[in-house]
Amino acid sequence: MKRLAGLALALPVLLPIEEACAHPAFAGATGFYGGLVHPLFVPTHAIAILSLGMLIGQQAPHWRWPLLLTYAAGLSAGFAAMVSAFAPRFSTEALLAATAIVGGLVALARGVPWLTGILALGVGIALALDSSPGGISVREANVIIVGTFCGAVILLGVLLEVAAILRREWQKLAMRILGSWMGASAILILAWQLAR
Amino acid sequence: MRLIQANLRATVLLVLTAIPAVAHTGNLDGGFLGGFAHPLFGSDHVVAMVAVGLWGAFLGPPPMLVLPIVFPLVMAVGGVLGIVGVPLPAAELAIATSAIVLGLMVASAARPPLWVAAAIVGAFAIFHGYAHGAELPAGTDAAAYSIGFVTATGLLHLAGIALGLTVRWPAGRMGVRGTGAAIACAGLLFLWRLA
Repeated sequence: MKRLAGLALALPVLLPIEEACAHPAFAGATGFYGGLVHPLFVPTHAIAILSLGMLIGQQAPHWRWPLLLTYAAGLSAGFAAMVSAFAPRFSTEALLAATAIVGGLVALARGVPWLTGILALGVGIALALDSSPGGISVREANVIIVGTFCGAVILLGVLLEVAAILRREWQKLAMRILGSWMGASAILILAWQLAR
Repeated sequence: MRLIQANLRATVLLVLTAIPAVAHTGNLDGGFLGGFAHPLFGSDHVVAMVAVGLWGAFLGPPPMLVLPIVFPLVMAVGGVLGIVGVPLPAAELAIATSAIVLGLMVASAARPPLWVAAAIVGAFAIFHGYAHGAELPAGTDAAAYSIGFVTATGLLHLAGIALGLTVRWPAGRMGVRGTGAAIACAGLLFLWRLA
């Protein structure tokens, strides 16, 4: 079980990754299923959710589900804004900046519940706004949005539970190392995005 | 002693037959695999990363794993400097020096306070990150490339730590210290090639 947990944590990092933009994750994955797997196959989204999952997993048990709900509320708000034709220019950058902070906090193992809550809300909003399905019918776009919401919430729920069962000292340190990798990756991608 | 000599010979041979002694080939394709391969094809980068892990082994747990936590984050800051084009003089010189210094730390089984070790590693991480950031290939998928390159760097640290775990045995301790000496010698060679 613990090996499986470690593998689940490492998987998003090791998966072959497609380009980071809002769209079906890969050819053929459209509709609800395309939305469902979207967060897993878009690198910036995957590292954001993985980092947040680890950070929430580092919190006291009674904080986990409220933080997951906060994240889900952020996603809902982001998708609601998107459906209302709000199209921000810097959603990817905002998501990466939040991921860099989350990764740094995981590395420091200094998760503060209220700060984690703000970050969960921010990651949820930015992730939703960065997942706009483009160039398709309104009905299909809505189906994709629902799929993306479900995928993003399920993925975070699984990751935070996996992170929460990693209680041995070396496992906690491994998580901190992974957090530093996520934070470093987010910083580099952000710099690249801004320098483009 | 024989072990140290064998390590030295092996490392010198490896270094001499390796791809040019700069951290990065600059010819790799984008994407995760391109980013993953990038640190692995620069012998000076590889030996310095492994040295970070080996040195951690002498610091013992849990500080052993602090250096691999510090390095990627500080390296990313250096990477940002490279990406945005902030001039950082003598980066390749500093990278070669990092192999010498970190190799000597391992060879001497140095156990400074953790903050000193973290400061040394962090200072060199800036230059390693800078070199990578400055040489990122154009038209690359930035996200996948960055994740690949950070992952490979981290795995090199972990490889060093895994090797360093042998310090609990006398022969292993000698072997690790010998590897440190070999890394320092490799650093001198990198420096000589830059001259």
